[in-house]
Amino acid sequence: MLKNYFKIAVAVLRRKKFFTFISLFGISITLTILMVLTAFIDKVINDNYPDRKRDRSLYINSIEETGEHARNGGALSFYFLNHYAGSLKTPVKIAIHSGSNATNTYINNKKIDLRYKYTNAAFWEVAEYDFTEGKPFTQRQIENSEHVAVISEDLKKEYFGDMPSVVGKYIEVDNVQYRVCGVVKSVPITNYVFYGDIYLPYTVSKTDYNGKEYRGDYLGILLAASKSDVPKMRKEFEQMVPRIPMSSKDYDKIHTYADTYFTAFVRTGNEEASGVTIAMTAIGVFTFLVMLLPTLNLVNINITRIMERSSEIGVRKAFGAASGTLVYQFLVENLILTLLGGLIGTILSFVIIQVFNSIQPIPNLILSLNFTVLGMALLICLIFGLLSGVYPAWRMSRLNVVTALKAS
Amino acid sequence: MFAHLFKLIWNKKKQNFLLMLEIFISFLVIFAVFTMIVYYYRNYKKPLGFDYENVWVIKYNNTLQTSNNDSLSLFYETLKQTIKAMPQVKDITFTSYNIPMSQASSQSGFTHNNEQFMGVNWYFVDDNYKNVLDMKMLEGRWFNKQDVVTKNHPVVINESLKERLFGNNPATGKIIGDARQQDKMHVIGVVEDIKQFGDYVNPGIAVFHKADTSAFHWFGRMLVKVSPDADATFESHLYKTIANYMRNANIEIEHMDNNRKGINTFYLVPVIILLVVAIFLTINVTLGLFGVLWYNINKRKAEIGLRRAVGASGNSVSWQLVAEALVLATFSLFAGSFLAVQFPLLRIFDLPATIYITALILAILFIYLLVLLCSLYPGKQAAAVYPAVALHED
Repeated sequence: MLKNYFKIAVAVLRRKKFFTFISLFGISITLTILMVLTAFIDKVINDNYPDRKRDRSLYINSIEETGEHARNGGALSFYFLNHYAGSLKTPVKIAIHSGSNATNTYINNKKIDLRYKYTNAAFWEVAEYDFTEGKPFTQRQIENSEHVAVISEDLKKEYFGDMPSVVGKYIEVDNVQYRVCGVVKSVPITNYVFYGDIYLPYTVSKTDYNGKEYRGDYLGILLAASKSDVPKMRKEFEQMVPRIPMSSKDYDKIHTYADTYFTAFVRTGNEEASGVTIAMTAIGVFTFLVMLLPTLNLVNINITRIMERSSEIGVRKAFGAASGTLVYQFLVENLILTLLGGLIGTILSFVIIQVFNSIQPIPNLILSLNFTVLGMALLICLIFGLLSGVYPAWRMSRLNVVTALKAS
Repeated sequence: MFAHLFKLIWNKKKQNFLLMLEIFISFLVIFAVFTMIVYYYRNYKKPLGFDYENVWVIKYNNTLQTSNNDSLSLFYETLKQTIKAMPQVKDITFTSYNIPMSQASSQSGFTHNNEQFMGVNWYFVDDNYKNVLDMKMLEGRWFNKQDVVTKNHPVVINESLKERLFGNNPATGKIIGDARQQDKMHVIGVVEDIKQFGDYVNPGIAVFHKADTSAFHWFGRMLVKVSPDADATFESHLYKTIANYMRNANIEIEHMDNNRKGINTFYLVPVIILLVVAIFLTINVTLGLFGVLWYNINKRKAEIGLRRAVGASGNSVSWQLVAEALVLATFSLFAGSFLAVQFPLLRIFDLPATIYITALILAILFIYLLVLLCSLYPGKQAAAVYPAVALHED
């Protein structure tokens, strides 16, 4: 039966080439837009380089102190993360690292812009960077305030050129000489928690990291022993926050959260509006709009196409085909058309992603069509096919046999 | 004639409903796109209000722990003289974080004659700021050494704020801020708007305050105007000089022309993505519309044949079909415009009404043009129908 429907569908598609073209064009381009978008979002929020243990981690990115007349927020201090977050029992490791700040360095009359980041030793165990050479700095090197640095591949290329190995060489940043102890694969800027060109021990930081204030320049990552410990770890953090003494009389409440990567990524810092809702709504509205017009267009085209086949429908009805059978047939035809469009869309997205990757408008951001994206595309295809097929099919099934036959 | 056409479409409203819905939604999308284009274009046409060429931004952080304003002031004054003594440096200024061509903004508000002025850009500057950025005075003067902070502290306001406060009257010498506020402001001059957020964003209203010596506690930016021959060698020399002087500070030098490119890209990229999507949607709708109109006209061959047989010329038949399509679009445009005018009426986004009106007119014209293009060819085909053939078919 299905085979028959398939044959009919192909025959119909070939008969009216212009309409087929319109339908396929609409479906494939819509899918391409949605697929490139999902590939991008997937890369930004689901990429697991360098934090491969993301499902075991909670991220602390901000703190806000509020009072009746005061409201101040920002990143956290080293003291807060080390002392308060460090007192928790559940986390096995706590990575503490500064946000990436910009500076310049000059070599051979060339200027290099770079981002530096101060980290503790646990940072290198929580985040698993790929080392192309050397290794991270150790706890002992941190305690001795040694001027050592882990640099990114990009910075290596820019600063040292095509040298095979740079471990042990010196690099000057912010007017200080650091000895390179390791080189890691670069992280794209969209992963702002881990992005950096040069990673330094926090003990060599120029700003005082022992200050007792709560706000500062640092972020934290809590690592649980297993995935099942994560809710417990979050709960422990939540229970700990209200017990922290206020840093000043001006404040009466401290807001800080240990979030999953995505929630931390979109947290607006506003207590009332959840970042997750805003981000999801924005994406949802955009997707809805992008899909609405092509769907309407397809419905219009599909109605036109069936009305043209009214004689066929009339004959089949006259010979006793039930409305349900006809609706089913038409939906199958429509799904075949959509899947064909989906195939073209996938090829188009593949081409666009290849072009994106070769131009690299955002350095080191390599998109790929992975299984999540393909699965999403397939799902979108099916929704699309059903949406644009149901209404015309319903209208068709109500066609009166006599009118249908007379029309020809 | 038109009444007749309206009636024809109205009678078939159920059949045409989906088509009208499609035009309606396309109109809303096009309206949104045009609103954005008109907004960006109008901002783009405004003069920049300052010169970013050869201006370098030095980012630093104050790491001096002293609470003594005088020693702090002396520290930075010495640095200023050191930098200014370099041959490539023309002028230097210290300022707050919200420098031009950056995302950083600092906004405040005040009331004047019981009217609230919110979201005022608040700049803290010194006497050299205007020269470094080559800003244009429209009236009055910029700050100088004689301006000491008295009860009504001296401010310079921008053109947009002047227009909202005083219309076409001069602002120099006026006091702004209401009586119950302790700190009233004495306007000493008006400058042309400076587009802080790049070429495509409305600069908004702004007040420039003369910074006192305590401001060095929280200042974090220097702007340096250099001569065109300043190169990377000089830059590294400048960097070293500052880094050696401010041992504990983190220093970064940026070029304002690069910052301009960066901030313009930041605002343009979403628009370009939306434009690409909108263009695709438009092509999609155009093709669909064309297909449907073409089919409808083919279906009406008998009617067209009859019209031809009783004496209608080919032209008048094709004109009728085109007009029908346009009338169909008019129904959608009515509904769409009704929704679109809510934006300026309800002040949904804080944009001037003229932007919406321009966008509305452009969007209406665009949709008519689209429908006209889609119906011309089917209309022409209908004109070629031979009455004998068409009538014979039935």
